[in-house]
Amino acid sequence: MSVALGSERAPAGVGSRRIAAPLAWLCGLLIVAATLEIVIDGSVGHSPLIPKQPAIAGWMSGIGERLGFRVFLIALLAAVGAYALLLVLLTRARPAAIDRRWALGLIGLLHLIVFVGPILISTDVFSYIAYARMGVEHGINPYLHGPASIASDPIFPYVGVDWKHTETAYGPIYTLLSYPLAPLGVHGALWAMKLEATLASVATLALVWRCARVRGLDPVTAVLAVAVNPLYVIYGLGGAHNDLLMLAAMMLAVWLTLAPVQSRGREAGAAAVVVAGALIKATVAVLLPFMVLSRRRLAPLLGALAAVLLGALIAYLAFGSHGVNIVAALNRDAAFVSTDSFANEIAHLFGKPGVFPVDHDLLKAGLVIVTLYLLWLVWRGYDWIAASGWTLLAISVTSTWLLAWYILWPLPLAVVSRDRRLLYATLTIQLLFVLHQISPLLAPVQ
Amino acid sequence: MTETSRLIQTTLLVLLGVLLAVATINDVVRQTHINHRLVADLATWRSYSGHDFKNVGVDEELLGVASGRDVACGNTTPGAPRERTQLCLVLEGPTRGGRREVAGGWYLPPLTHRDLRAYRYGCFGRAGTGMCAR
Repeated sequence: MSVALGSERAPAGVGSRRIAAPLAWLCGLLIVAATLEIVIDGSVGHSPLIPKQPAIAGWMSGIGERLGFRVFLIALLAAVGAYALLLVLLTRARPAAIDRRWALGLIGLLHLIVFVGPILISTDVFSYIAYARMGVEHGINPYLHGPASIASDPIFPYVGVDWKHTETAYGPIYTLLSYPLAPLGVHGALWAMKLEATLASVATLALVWRCARVRGLDPVTAVLAVAVNPLYVIYGLGGAHNDLLMLAAMMLAVWLTLAPVQSRGREAGAAAVVVAGALIKATVAVLLPFMVLSRRRLAPLLGALAAVLLGALIAYLAFGSHGVNIVAALNRDAAFVSTDSFANEIAHLFGKPGVFPVDHDLLKAGLVIVTLYLLWLVWRGYDWIAASGWTLLAISVTSTWLLAWYILWPLPLAVVSRDRRLLYATLTIQLLFVLHQISPLLAPVQ
Repeated sequence: MTETSRLIQTTLLVLLGVLLAVATINDVVRQTHINHRLVADLATWRSYSGHDFKNVGVDEELLGVASGRDVACGNTTPGAPRERTQLCLVLEGPTRGGRREVAGGWYLPPLTHRDLRAYRYGCFGRAGTGMCAR
């Protein structure tokens, strides 16, 4: 069985070391410059890539120009290229070429740039705030009504057009966590959401660091592979997505199972954290069967059960029976089709105009088969963290509703898993996603 | 996990990766062709109407995705999008010199947000005849 990124490094020669250090600097500079370009130009607004939003980054708007597809894609491709080269350098010459402080400085700088900038690409964060304001300011259950029920609220104009009539699909714990932000007003809540995403990212990275160290992997390599990833920075952090909160819960659960001193309480706690993560965003629940199967003890099962009961009780008390039924929201979202989904691309490849209902069934069947096979592998001793990562990757590949931040899900697991192929596969899928965006560069529409 | 099963897994993963890569490249090429067509549609509308307006909408699905015929609509006088009488052109055929053939068209009253047969008037040309309710 092979090991993950960074643990089997070929010793770097003096010559390669001499080149590697400045090259790493160059890569870091390129990634920072590309991110800065997107954030500065994005702050001007009036761009199809920047959702309509309150002027939170107006002080920067005099510096840049309106962000067009051409500049965005060139910056994104430059960042992707620099990230790929940085990963190669990390695997070949990490200790000599890339210093720990430099790595942490780069990560901190990227987080800061994105934090002070506007919301990038997605309107999701405005839906989060709208659902919170529905519950707190208007006394409306966000599991029963869409933001259209608060059309006079100041957040409503910023909610994405596709989501104005859609009830929340997020877990009850997330909805309750967002409630204290509602009284802060639109600006205050937006900053709080950005802060929450940043802190969740920092927590995820800290846990990746610890997990990598426990597994005997290079923590700097593992953390950089996640934190400098352009999709993570621009789409994930840039959009202040709650997926980052879900990832933090996921990595906390993984770390609890990896801690050197194991106990039943710790195992039960890990399973409970997975359930808590699923009550933020349901996808992370896929970790549970793999975790339980790998432990082969009752403790994780009991921990999960206790968390489910407690979570369901809280959800029921706060939102009624609709707050408990997360599966209904998932089924609804699973029927959506995005142009970036691989299912849609394969349909086009075979001459079909798009995805049909039967394709949804085929994809679900494929996902079930993959999951069952991975469960069998875990039963036979395969790394449960890698199996969970493969399942998250399979979900994003088979989903007809694929968004950039969905293909971030397996990344933190991939960098600490014992199967290097998971990282290669995750990065390949991310690269294909980025390549799929480039048609405006080849034929600009004006 | 045995070496054989690992080899089988890797082979399947590579094959899946190749399929996804081919599908992605095919889709980029397809989208690029669509963008070229869109550019030609917009240029044709601007040239035909004599207005260099920025807000011209192109619908590729109204007459069927596979028909290759697009409908480009824009205001006939300066104003906010769709707030004036709109001229809609049916565009078809290959792109020549950055333009496509105007096969017909119709008008829509101001503030019409959906191009429905009931709203159209003044239908003209081969592709426009019979597209109006009256």
